[in-house]
Amino acid sequence: MINTVPPALIFILGAMFIPFLKGKLKKLYLILIPLVAFIDLIYLEQGTSWVFKFLGYDLIFAEVDRLSLVVGYIFVIIGFLAILYSLHIEEDGQHVAACLYTGSSLGVVFAGDYFSLFAFWEIMAVASVFLIWYQKDNESLNAGFRYILMHLFGGCCLLAGIIIYSASKGSILVDRVEPGPFYWFMLIGFGLNAAFIPLHTWLPDSYPNGTFTGSVFLSVYTTKTAIYVLARCFPATEFVAYMGGIMAVYGVVFALMQNNTRKLLSYHIVSQVGYMVAGVGIGTTLGVNGGIAHLFNHILYKALLFMTMGSVIYMTGKTKLTELGGLAKLMPITCITCIIASLSISGAPGFNGFVSKGLIISSAAEAHKPVLELMLVLASVGTFLSFVKLCYFCFFTKNEQIEAKEAPINMQLAMGLTAFLCIFIGLYPRVLFDLLPYQDIHYHPFTFSHITGVIQLFLLAGVVFMLAKAAFSPHNDIVLDFDYFYRMGGRGLSWACNKPLNNFRSRIQVRISMGIFILVRLCKNPISTLDIFIAHAYQRATKSLRFRYVSGYSSSEVYDESLHKRPIGVGVLVAVILLSVFALVHFIF
Amino acid sequence: MEKIKILKRLYFLLVFLCILVGFLAKHDHAVFFWHKIPSIDAIFGALGAILLLVAKKIVHFFTFREENFYD
Repeated sequence: MINTVPPALIFILGAMFIPFLKGKLKKLYLILIPLVAFIDLIYLEQGTSWVFKFLGYDLIFAEVDRLSLVVGYIFVIIGFLAILYSLHIEEDGQHVAACLYTGSSLGVVFAGDYFSLFAFWEIMAVASVFLIWYQKDNESLNAGFRYILMHLFGGCCLLAGIIIYSASKGSILVDRVEPGPFYWFMLIGFGLNAAFIPLHTWLPDSYPNGTFTGSVFLSVYTTKTAIYVLARCFPATEFVAYMGGIMAVYGVVFALMQNNTRKLLSYHIVSQVGYMVAGVGIGTTLGVNGGIAHLFNHILYKALLFMTMGSVIYMTGKTKLTELGGLAKLMPITCITCIIASLSISGAPGFNGFVSKGLIISSAAEAHKPVLELMLVLASVGTFLSFVKLCYFCFFTKNEQIEAKEAPINMQLAMGLTAFLCIFIGLYPRVLFDLLPYQDIHYHPFTFSHITGVIQLFLLAGVVFMLAKAAFSPHNDIVLDFDYFYRMGGRGLSWACNKPLNNFRSRIQVRISMGIFILVRLCKNPISTLDIFIAHAYQRATKSLRFRYVSGYSSSEVYDESLHKRPIGVGVLVAVILLSVFALVHFIF
Repeated sequence: MEKIKILKRLYFLLVFLCILVGFLAKHDHAVFFWHKIPSIDAIFGALGAILLLVAKKIVHFFTFREENFYD
């Protein structure tokens, strides 16, 4: 009997020792972390364990059921592949951030209560931002700050929702969220990480600016943990279902306009996550199974796409489609694996996307949501077009100036293994179906009509691409998204703080300084009150007062005590008067 | 160039054949009326691609800026 621990612990504790190791031992250690976590997952028993009391609440670190297990498996598998891909990176910080990020994502998945879920949620945000900042250029620094600001906003919403939830329900157990005052706070908190429109802007802004290995991790965990919690807390929600449809279409339209390869992939995360959101929102057994199956498959092909584009960037130093081309002969492994990933994401028969996309589209039809079904079909067409564009302009257009060779062996191995999994699940979907949360599914992906339907969809979209190739060609420009409003809003806020609010503060400071100045004079010599008012009036008239009060005593104006001296008797008289008044007040009251 | 021409012809032949085969395929769980139309996915593919192209053009027209716009 093996004593299991929460898988998050293995990654988080594992991360602590990375800086102490060097050379091959470090590489071996990095590979061992996900392997140990995988063995731990296999032995993890369903049920609740690792419970700690905190402020009268139960903190649960291992809430294990079919849903958390399937997500846990794919998180650990891709953790292994992504670590293998980034094995040649020397910087310990990147490995530590990646392991903390993976560990905290697993922490969210196995958390049984909202408090520990929130804690891991925030660790995830902080750890992941370092995968952007390690790119070490100005653009990634700024993108990282925008990323963390958005996530902190989402975290605050989530925390507010959790506090209201726990106060009103008296429980913090992760469960389906029914309508209440906490509902929208929690939905916004989760929805921001799931890239709900218009809260999605952090994703296409930051992922293209991450390190080329860091972006592989980024493409996996944040959005998928959000899908997982949506499946737990907001299944069968009409708003969520249609939000998924909007995300699917919105993502492909914006992806079609991109020139930066990783930005194109980032918009496709929005689109593909839209499918998952739709499946979860539909909420039937077929829908939730479809959403989770798509999560599983998407992690594989999207990580593979980021790996291939990372290889291209690593070997050529170029990120724009307008600067790429002709890489099919120079980087054949990268090219083949990119085509496999493209076919998988498009949902071509024989590849993993075909299975899960079909599940979600069928669930939309089964739930009698015609508009949603058509939106998802439209997004399928757009996905195919986008990846024809990506592969064509990256690998097959003529570019005689480009120089490159194939990526390092560890990167090739990681890409090859991930591509193998995409095809394996595409051909033997039963392996995936056996892991899904609901087992009573009656869905057969390889029907004649489904296969011919998908092929027709792609072939005809391909005809349009051939006829209007110029219209799909990339341009050297950027396309504004909703982040325009956030950035302009931010600039507006900055201006408001710097100008009107700062002026207001400055005016108040002048008034207070003036008051203190008068008070100091009065304390030093109360008798000279009249003099001060006269001087004050005089100085106002000569307009020199403002300068003096702001800067304190000016060098030309030194207070001369003897100028204001009065006979000592006056002081005694004032004291006697004050004491008499005090005595009078005392006796009367 | 000749090779590309042949490949293009083969592609269009494949499209034609696929549409024909679509008439033999019957949707297993037809829910909406379009599920019963033969080779409807071919129409969806072509119309969808045109629709997306138009949407791309319109959105691009209103939202494109110079690369250093935010700098």
